[in-house]
Amino acid sequence: MTDVTLYHWEPNANSGKPMLALMEKGVPFNSHYLDMLAFDQHKPDYLAINPMGTIPAMTHGDLVLTESTAIMEYVDEAFPGPRLMPENPVDQWRVRWWMKFMDQWLGPSFSMIGWSVFVGPSVRQKDPAELEAAIERIPMPERRISWRKAINGAFSAEEMAESQRRVALGITFLEQALGEREWLASDHYSLADINGFNLAYALPLSQPHLSNDQLTPNIMRWVRAIYARPATKRCWALGKTDLAKRASLLEAELA
Amino acid sequence: MSTTLYHGEPNGPSLTVLAALFEKNVDAALERIDLRAGDRHSDKVPHAMEVDQSIEGEGPVLVVDGTAMTDSVFLACYLDEVGSGPALRPVDPYARWQMMAWCRHIIERLAPAASYLGLQASPPGRVPEGIVSIDLAGRWRDAAEGRFDQAKLGDSRTKIGQAVDKVEAQLADGRQWLMGDFSVADLETYAWLAGMQPLVPEAFKGRALTREWLGRVKTRPSVVRARSLASVSAPERVWAPGPEINRWG
Repeated sequence: MTDVTLYHWEPNANSGKPMLALMEKGVPFNSHYLDMLAFDQHKPDYLAINPMGTIPAMTHGDLVLTESTAIMEYVDEAFPGPRLMPENPVDQWRVRWWMKFMDQWLGPSFSMIGWSVFVGPSVRQKDPAELEAAIERIPMPERRISWRKAINGAFSAEEMAESQRRVALGITFLEQALGEREWLASDHYSLADINGFNLAYALPLSQPHLSNDQLTPNIMRWVRAIYARPATKRCWALGKTDLAKRASLLEAELA
Repeated sequence: MSTTLYHGEPNGPSLTVLAALFEKNVDAALERIDLRAGDRHSDKVPHAMEVDQSIEGEGPVLVVDGTAMTDSVFLACYLDEVGSGPALRPVDPYARWQMMAWCRHIIERLAPAASYLGLQASPPGRVPEGIVSIDLAGRWRDAAEGRFDQAKLGDSRTKIGQAVDKVEAQLADGRQWLMGDFSVADLETYAWLAGMQPLVPEAFKGRALTREWLGRVKTRPSVVRARSLASVSAPERVWAPGPEINRWG
């Protein structure tokens, strides 16, 4: 029995962050899978939990938590298990610096590309009237704009080029940081690694010309090390779409 | 341990960090830099990647034993960890989650809106040399050349209003401070919001609890001391390019 429930989509990006943090801490939780491509997150049952309609959300007893990075800090502090935040205050700062960099700069660029090539095409075949009704149910106006853009393939060439520029540059920053220390923000595996991994795990597949054994040996060492962790495997077992299959394919190739 | 804080005028992120430093009695050398003149990109300040690529844009830099750190909320967390004054973060994990989620909202939604409106009111005269981040340099160019997008200005005013609504709702139960006890959330929210009163007066109309709370923060000894370091009479009117407005999602 557990009084923790995580509402999540695939073990990927924002959903993947608290999933992997809970797995690493060894916290038992009820997994409530939301099919983002079927707009489960905007249906009344879920809006009763999280009125903003964003994924993920976590309940702990009567408490409701949103914002994936803040949830991870809560998971680390509220439950026993290995610490996922370093002891040293400067290292703690660096963990948070990287998480913000991922959440607000690199992540949105990854996500624009991902939505353009995966999410948009995945839902575009649905009945247009049904899609429009689904979009109208989205509580946050900016998310309605995002979904319309993804569905209509309406990202401008300029926007996509800027996202690609940031992904390429972000890869060089990751490679540099991982060349300086074993893990992203300190000498210990931390929330920064969990955050970064959930964005970067598929880099060798999605950006093979930018991230590979020759160009980014430290990123490759890092993603392999995290692939190999038992918590990561347990996390991916909760995936239901090709995203999770993509990860296992990559794992096989790298083994 | 050697600690130096390079700070701008006590407004926005520089105000948060100066006040947090004083709240926590942290011993540090204070070095004033002119953020509007681009001092952060000159040889006056160490150039770590984390400084050049700070999401916060033009904010203070705290250097501890050679490590240069940025981003005001996280600097305040650091100071809270190492300093001796009363805690600036709740101890209970859920209360702490509330504070961190609150601050995330502020730095992602309020801060970009405030710096955009603040810059429009007093744009910088020129783009400084040496800016490494291409997107930050773009924000400088737009501001110096007076290119302010009407849709972004309107959206920014809306976001100031939403932030005030959020503060007003949080204070509705009669509490003195946003999280119950005084915290980083009070400093960070005040730091971005105080200068918006003359620029978006309609957002504060009828918001008595918010106005009283702004007054309480302003008279807090740490904030008074931080503001006493200003080189101008109204530091809340001094803005340099801050975080970018969300591109997506």
